[in-house]
Amino acid sequence: MLPLHSFLALIKKELLTLSRDIHGMVALFLMPMVFIIVMSMALKDVYTPPATTLSYAVADQDHGATSAKLLARWAQQHGAPQTLPQDWHNEVQSGRLKYVLVIEAGFSSLIDNPGLIDNPGSNSTAKVRLLAEPGLGNAIFETHRVRLAAMVTQLKTERLLAQLPPALNAGANINDSPVVAERMSAGPRPTAVQQNVPAWLVFGMFFVVASIAGLFVEERSCGALARLLSLGVKPWQLIASKIAPYLLVNGLQAALMLGVGIWLMPVIGGEALSLQGVHWGALLLMLFAISLAAVSMALAVACLVTTHAQAATLGPILNVLMAALGGVMVPVFVMPPVMQKIAVYSPMNWGLEGLLDVLLRNGEVGSVLNEIATLTGFSVLMLAIAFLLFRRRV
Amino acid sequence: MLSIRNLSFRYAAASDAALQEVSLDAARGEVLGLLGPNGAGKTTLIAHLCGLLPIQSGTITLDQLPLSTQLARNPLRIALAPQEYAFYPSLSVVENLACFAGVGSLSGTMKKSRMLECLAFAQLERYSATRADRLSGGLKRRLNLAIAMLHRPELLLFDEPTVGVDPQSRAFLLQAIKKLALEGCAVIYTSHYMEEVEAIADRVVILDRGRVLQQGALDELLSSSSAHLLLAVDGNNNERLVAALSSFGHVTPQRVGVKITLASRDNLARVVAAVEAAGLTISHMRFGDDNLEQLFMSLTHSSLRD
Repeated sequence: MLPLHSFLALIKKELLTLSRDIHGMVALFLMPMVFIIVMSMALKDVYTPPATTLSYAVADQDHGATSAKLLARWAQQHGAPQTLPQDWHNEVQSGRLKYVLVIEAGFSSLIDNPGLIDNPGSNSTAKVRLLAEPGLGNAIFETHRVRLAAMVTQLKTERLLAQLPPALNAGANINDSPVVAERMSAGPRPTAVQQNVPAWLVFGMFFVVASIAGLFVEERSCGALARLLSLGVKPWQLIASKIAPYLLVNGLQAALMLGVGIWLMPVIGGEALSLQGVHWGALLLMLFAISLAAVSMALAVACLVTTHAQAATLGPILNVLMAALGGVMVPVFVMPPVMQKIAVYSPMNWGLEGLLDVLLRNGEVGSVLNEIATLTGFSVLMLAIAFLLFRRRV
Repeated sequence: MLSIRNLSFRYAAASDAALQEVSLDAARGEVLGLLGPNGAGKTTLIAHLCGLLPIQSGTITLDQLPLSTQLARNPLRIALAPQEYAFYPSLSVVENLACFAGVGSLSGTMKKSRMLECLAFAQLERYSATRADRLSGGLKRRLNLAIAMLHRPELLLFDEPTVGVDPQSRAFLLQAIKKLALEGCAVIYTSHYMEEVEAIADRVVILDRGRVLQQGALDELLSSSSAHLLLAVDGNNNERLVAALSSFGHVTPQRVGVKITLASRDNLARVVAAVEAAGLTISHMRFGDDNLEQLFMSLTHSSLRD
């Protein structure tokens, strides 16, 4: 049995060599941090449509009281309009102006005379037009279209109610709706940051594959491994001595990525990562299980490859594949059904789903046990493969 | 101290055995030179001595006990200074020493003092904080030596320890190794450089294709080969020369002239007479005074650097 101080010497050596591997440090810490920042900012609008930041203008050809009321309400929700440029068609076509609301002449009289009421969403009879730039995302376009239709309908309803005798009108509140929409178990609101931090954290944690494999190949090719073995170090002890430092590295990665989400993102204009209501035990267990899976897989790959070139290519390729399939780069729910079935075979998917359970759905330990068990089983398998390959290679 | 008997080993899927019935001994205070061309089995033999390869056939004993038993009790009795720079290039000299000292049995003040001793022995004090990959080739070899010495091994294995070093560093290393032997270490030293082995080895084992071709004290080996006669004649007429000398022993044609091993030094005059009787004129003649390189070439029919 290797004495504790010998084991600690191996761990210290591992941490020192890793800390001097600049490329490895960049891949492990800087790269996922950059991904979190870039992807969270890039996808910010996917999760929070920019209702008040889209530049728009108004072409009010009606000049009636009702059109003014409509525009005032629209401005309340979507910010003030810009001055309508003369060549506004070109401005919209080129995307410099995101949309223009055109209120055609006669709109107010249409609303004020219920007998003329028609469907405002139909092009043939529309008196309010939403003309958007070609590149405006479908989700945002549809949201604006529905909001506009709802506002027009509200104006019509108000006008109808106003025409009823007071006895019938009493107590009517057009804002009452039988529709209630809310998210189950009030976890933090899903935002780009809330989605991207766990996704790229999992990706970054699995990047230890390239680092461990590279350093292990170097250790073997320079003869240091043979020297360690000649000093009585057993293969399992050597493998075990590599697990502990990289668990620590993964822990530091997790702390850094969460810190970026919580403190850095709001400073640079993104939303802050919220850990409100998060079950810390579940979060720590998930992080440990992901880390163990990542390090175990890294050791298996390290024992499989024989050259630096293999280590430098196989690790990143495996990582990118697992990330693409596992929902790190593209959320699984937007994938076609076939891809969704494949996604569940990626270890990154197990880790990501578990983290999303904890960070978005207020998941407790019980709700992530499946993911933890799967990741642990995967770790055991990878360690067994690493051990067998090590015995064959040395 | 070390005794190897009939050791044979074949790598999986290899057609030829890497070691065949190898037997040799190494004693305390002795430098044993292990010579052989590439593929002779030197590294395989050393890997066995470090316990890195299982024994398939034969025995290795250390102080009358099986090597595996001794290594299980104390793996630090044997140290390896391999052909490669067996340390971590991104760590400094002292960090490397601390790592290997810590992995072994050393800790606390014992570890510190032993590290200082080894630094001093290898004359590396000035470079203790220097990263290993920034050392010159000679300094790297000295670090390799210092690490090997950390645990005061009884048997030191050097596998080509002077590859790629300048003459000064080579001289330093050879002197240091000789000093270790004088202090009571058993040293097994493999090298491609005959002059090194001649300079420091007390005994020599010549390996080729996994077999021991010859072994013994260096002086004995060289004197046993001293009955070699190298003879060349004008016109380099080797065919007539071979025919004239065949009755004296086995004649081997060389690039220039022939080589013949004489049963007795007394035959020398008769050989000269026979050559002249055949109508040939001797242009060059050398008798005895073989060096290790010539002995090796005559045994293996190849150069060490092949």
